[in-house]
Amino acid sequence: MSADYAHPEVLVSADWVTEHLNDPKVRVVESDEDVLLYDMGHVPGAVKIDWQGDLQDQLVRDYIGAEKFATICSRAGIAPDTTVVFYGDKSNWWACYAFWAFKLFGHKDCRILNGGRKLWLDQKRPTTTEVPRYKPTDYKVAGADEAAIRIFRDDVLAHMKAGKPLIDVRSPKEFTGETLHMEDYPQEGALRGGHIPGAKSVPWSRAVNEDGTFKSASELKALYEGEVGLKPTDDVVAYCRIGERSSLTWFVLTYLLGYPKVRNYDGSWTEWGNLVRMPIARGE
Amino acid sequence: MTESETAVSTTLDEIAAELSEADKQERIELLIDFARSLPPLPERLEALKDPDHKVHECQSPVYLFVELEGDRVQLYGDVPIEAPTVRGFVSILVEGLNGTTVPEVLGLRSDIIQRLGLLEILGMQRLNGLNGVLHYLKSKVARAAAGAGASSA
Repeated sequence: MSADYAHPEVLVSADWVTEHLNDPKVRVVESDEDVLLYDMGHVPGAVKIDWQGDLQDQLVRDYIGAEKFATICSRAGIAPDTTVVFYGDKSNWWACYAFWAFKLFGHKDCRILNGGRKLWLDQKRPTTTEVPRYKPTDYKVAGADEAAIRIFRDDVLAHMKAGKPLIDVRSPKEFTGETLHMEDYPQEGALRGGHIPGAKSVPWSRAVNEDGTFKSASELKALYEGEVGLKPTDDVVAYCRIGERSSLTWFVLTYLLGYPKVRNYDGSWTEWGNLVRMPIARGE
Repeated sequence: MTESETAVSTTLDEIAAELSEADKQERIELLIDFARSLPPLPERLEALKDPDHKVHECQSPVYLFVELEGDRVQLYGDVPIEAPTVRGFVSILVEGLNGTTVPEVLGLRSDIIQRLGLLEILGMQRLNGLNGVLHYLKSKVARAAAGAGASSA
């Protein structure tokens, strides 16, 4: 089923996870939008790593440093050679975000449970509320992958000026700039609505099926190459509101389609839409 | 006494005290209990789940209904269990605000989210949706009150 993906080994099935539940070389990590879900029941043996409370710095808008990352991994019983399988709610948005953050620190073997939390529960697979304890590891951060997968605003501006492909993965109304103008709703944290000029709108959700699994390689190719016109050799930047949904698109382009140069702009719209004099396009 | 100084319902205060005195893990479990105990919508409202009763700010499908019985507010909510944080928050509002008056609901300050101790377990970025629920609730109560005033005039 997944054999036609560029890197099929990065996507694991619920059966695979079931077979490896007691494998000491495998650690299952739940990462959700809704922080209560893990405590309501999770994959047996899985640990919770929260994108906000654990992986983000609590003062500066950035990720934690290498030392803290090593502490989190050690506490979760993750060694540098552990296979880490991420899963979560919302078709694995946050699982992909945690996956991406682990790659920032150069963790080698990261995978995604296809279908995430929803499919696991829909298939009535076992869950537990028991929080496991693992023997701490001596985790050494490999690092050095950041420049390959993360991009900052000045480079995004240069990327835009060079006319290179930008993919906006937010909802169509966020893309056109309409959502900041709806009555009665608090703002989403940006002062201006719209998108980065030249960006193409491909909502993240178009890459997944109803059941939370990823679409097939041929469907993904038809979307990103047929419809949007990307080429596998392109230098692609993806963004959304804070970089969470775009990490799913980053995952799809990098691992399922095998594009060698895809970066996630995690500053995303909450940075771009607030910066003075940044170019913005409105409408479709 | 001005509207903004109106005492908030004691039930909501009691819930806030219970939550804020609990440690982080207990607070998570209390919120899960609230999420699990949200009463189902009465059948007559189930049929009215339309865009007008939906809180659009939330990523999850959240429906809120406000009814007035005399000067007392009656709240009903519907949130999927897959979004336990919002469901728990709505459940707290339903339990804490049912039977209070319109000025009491309108006078509720948005720091209630902090007073419930939710910031520590949710983090800043997850509070947007909850603020959206509160904002929506107040505008619904204000509209219901204005409607009631108009029909009795």
